[in-house]
Amino acid sequence: MTLVSTPSTTAPAGTSAPVRNRRRSHRRPRVLIAVTGLFFALLYLPIAVVALFSFNSQKSLTVFDGFSLRWYRAFVHDDVLIASLGTSLRISLVAMAGSVLLGVALAVGLVRCRTRFGSLAGLIMLVPLITPEIVTGVASMLLFKGLGVPLSTGTVMLAEITFSISYVTVILRSRVAALNPEVEEAAMDLGATRWQAVRLVTLPALLPAVLASAVLIFALVFDDFVLAYFTTGVDPQPLSVRIYSAIRFGVQPTINAVGTLMLAGSIALIALALFIPRLFGRRGGLDILSGE
Amino acid sequence: MDATPAVRLDGVSKQYADSYAVHRLDLDIEAGHFFSLLGPSGCGKTTTLRMIGGFSDPSEGAVLLAGEDVTDLPPNKRNVNTVFQSYALFDHLSVADNVGFGLKRSGVAKAEIRQRVGEMLELVQLAGLAGRKPRTLSGGQRQRVALARALVNRPAVLLLDEPLAALDLKLRRQMQVELKQIQREVGITFVFVTHDQDEALTMSDRIAVMNQGRIEQCGTPEDIYEHPATGFVASFMGTSNLMTGTYRDGEVTLEKGPALAVGARSGIEDGTAVSVSVRPEKIWLSDFEPGMSKLSGVLRETVYSGPTTTYLIELAPGVTLSVLEQNTARARMEDRWTGGETVEFGWRPEHCLVLA
Repeated sequence: MTLVSTPSTTAPAGTSAPVRNRRRSHRRPRVLIAVTGLFFALLYLPIAVVALFSFNSQKSLTVFDGFSLRWYRAFVHDDVLIASLGTSLRISLVAMAGSVLLGVALAVGLVRCRTRFGSLAGLIMLVPLITPEIVTGVASMLLFKGLGVPLSTGTVMLAEITFSISYVTVILRSRVAALNPEVEEAAMDLGATRWQAVRLVTLPALLPAVLASAVLIFALVFDDFVLAYFTTGVDPQPLSVRIYSAIRFGVQPTINAVGTLMLAGSIALIALALFIPRLFGRRGGLDILSGE
Repeated sequence: MDATPAVRLDGVSKQYADSYAVHRLDLDIEAGHFFSLLGPSGCGKTTTLRMIGGFSDPSEGAVLLAGEDVTDLPPNKRNVNTVFQSYALFDHLSVADNVGFGLKRSGVAKAEIRQRVGEMLELVQLAGLAGRKPRTLSGGQRQRVALARALVNRPAVLLLDEPLAALDLKLRRQMQVELKQIQREVGITFVFVTHDQDEALTMSDRIAVMNQGRIEQCGTPEDIYEHPATGFVASFMGTSNLMTGTYRDGEVTLEKGPALAVGARSGIEDGTAVSVSVRPEKIWLSDFEPGMSKLSGVLRETVYSGPTTTYLIELAPGVTLSVLEQNTARARMEDRWTGGETVEFGWRPEHCLVLA
């Protein structure tokens, strides 16, 4: 009753908004905009050059001669590169499936298991994220050598899975922690067994974050060079390793075309990863990464 | 009362480390009753409910549903359903699929599920929202979905864990009435956990007042309010004037004050120190009846609050009574006191209760 009879002391929202807008346009931070522009220029100029020269009609890497799809055609007809692309795709898919499976299970386990061992495991889990990748790469190679496992596409898959679990777990852990335990109880209350409750209620609630992390892992593994370089066998090598070897024998513009395609693919995947949670009408699964 | 109780707790305890959340609880809940577990937070009422639902295992004792021992059965094997405090709706399913979840689990045919879900949504007045996702609903609507989702399974007992706590006051009052109506309509035993004494009083057939893992008193709302068995019940259920003194010959003499006429109570020896309780609205300020004990004190404060006025009267040093009077036309016409003067008041002896 008091709310109705007391005259409102705050001004209506409409009057304050234009004031704020005017202030914003007056004080446009020119210096900041310039610095930001410079930052992005330095970051993306080399990539832009690669993309531009992938369409060059000549072999030159310094003079742009005219637009052509010649190098893309050359790539499509390069059996070695295509075989490498196939290897990379296979590695990425297997690593994605493996690390998502293990990472989700680990995230659920870390959140639900409230023992001292659990929190210790939670810390250890973060180590791969901060370890220099070359260390992980060398270590994986030495491990495989030591165990007498010949390096092959399979060893790359194993190394990539190990390396990627942490990413999945970091993304999923906050999601799992945010789940309301009463929801799982409600499912059991309505006749579901514990496993059915997880399958019918918990996993669907985690689905957006699971999909987003899967796409992210796919992109990360597909682009990965260091780990692949140390753990791959001879043939057929992953695309990134293949490109590196090719460059040692002189740069072919075909590499520009491959690089541009990989870039486009990665951008599409990352965009998908950010977009998936929005399809489900909730906040993104990559909050941690996008800083939202 | 000779019928098998819908719920029986037989010496049930729940122990955490070295403290008891629930201590040796014995409780019978009659079939078809609206039964409330009432108490402050941490009194063990939710733990008790969770043990009936099967979400928490008793440390000792047995839980019986309709005479059958279900102590070791998981929640999905018990013929009870729960309305959770957070509603715990399945956000990825539509309202209809939420409500139909339990029926689908128990293998009911699709056509029957559709029909029963439809009827239930009708009952909770959500018929038009079957296809919506829970996230798009208001708090009150989500509450109804949670209720429908539990009731549609026709459980023998419905457990409700403070289901109205998240609603604003007006909606809460409305839902209290509706919930009571629905309970009468479906005839299912409701076990309702709340810390709100008004809610318990208005809705329940019987109330168990809990404190520190034990039941302080169990009875009808009127019983509990009019004849509180302990000081805790007297002060938890509404306001009470609690005083301590010495019992002698049907009177209680305050430490530094007069002797008070109290209600008859057997089994108390002369000279025992006791607590007495008298409700503010049971104290008269005028038109005294014969047989009343008449007392006087100094008026310290007058608190006007619309339909009623509360007077704070100092009976003896350190003993201030709160007296509630209706602001009837007659009472308002009189020129009442401003404060500081000595006023007379009294009560019927039976309204001054000697507590255990």
